[in-house]
Amino acid sequence: MPLSRIPVLETRRLTLRGPEPQDYPNFKATFASYRSRFMGGPLNPYETWMLYAAEIGHWQIRGYGMWMIHDKQTGETCGMAGGWYPAAWPEREIAWIIWPEKAGHGYALEAAHAVRRYLYEKLGWDGAVSYLDPKNLDSIRLAERLGAVKDREAPTIDGNDAVYRHPSPERLKSGQLLDGIELEINHYCDPLFKPEGMPID
Amino acid sequence: MSAHPAIPVLETRDLILRGYRESDFPAFAAFAASERSRFVGGPQSRHDSWRSFMASIGHWALRGYGMWVIEHRDTGAMAGRVGVILNDGWHEPELGWHIYDGFEGRGFAYQACLAARAHAARHFGLNPLMSYIDAANDRSLRLARRLGCCFERDVEVVGQPCQLWRHPIEELR
Repeated sequence: MPLSRIPVLETRRLTLRGPEPQDYPNFKATFASYRSRFMGGPLNPYETWMLYAAEIGHWQIRGYGMWMIHDKQTGETCGMAGGWYPAAWPEREIAWIIWPEKAGHGYALEAAHAVRRYLYEKLGWDGAVSYLDPKNLDSIRLAERLGAVKDREAPTIDGNDAVYRHPSPERLKSGQLLDGIELEINHYCDPLFKPEGMPID
Repeated sequence: MSAHPAIPVLETRDLILRGYRESDFPAFAAFAASERSRFVGGPQSRHDSWRSFMASIGHWALRGYGMWVIEHRDTGAMAGRVGVILNDGWHEPELGWHIYDGFEGRGFAYQACLAARAHAARHFGLNPLMSYIDAANDRSLRLARRLGCCFERDVEVVGQPCQLWRHPIEELR
């Protein structure tokens, strides 16, 4: 799938587009930083480049992949979210990463909710998991806010990760879970909303 | 998904240079896992070679050029890869080639390099190219000489010492 054919998703605050060459510096900065420690980083420039190029190749081979998250107002990138399914993964994953300076605004929640809906409704996924480092508390919290539950039976990538299973498309069609996610996103969209405590994605 | 439409198809007598298909991955991974890949960053695990495989496709999108799959015309088998690489950390665009087990010794790398080099000069504006070659990679050094390359200098790429060989300027007719 060429870059030009990667679908564009819009949410209240965000535009999700395919990764483009000019977005590489922000990706590189994040993967050079400690922020990337749960995503296989920090990486050197060569490894980062290979990973970034692989993000694009994934779209071509799988027909889905990781979107670049942009702030609708400023156009700035905030991170990435999407579907991820390398050869070694037991199941299709919903994944996300938020640049360190963009944490704490609920961008990952808003983006992951949108991409999950797209993967379920447009691509017909019947479910998904997220493979999380057990020490990555921010991402575990996010998975739980998205309604995912730890699946102790499911195969892991290499035994060092925890599998969080997302709710089924059926459960996300309507009801308390969906209302709760959308209510929280609405809070984050409110300019007067100031979350207390540790920033979460 | 089919091959990336932006990857041009080049033909030589014995070979077709084309974009990637998922069905190419087993041959790609077998090469990356083998000792043959020791001069080009291998051997690699299956997971790492999957990343490299996807990155090879993404390279075309990011740079507008990249490495082709070399398909052996008679059998349809993947015989290797050739093309232009500019990863983060490279000094300049490089002409690279990998020939897979069972396809060496038949002049395929030579054919593929000539076709890729001419295309890069004409369509990518990359002329002259260079190639990084490990000083111990005798086969590639021989091919570089046959391609008219000259040793230019010793360099380091991703922390690894290697030689930079300069290709002749392609004459654009």
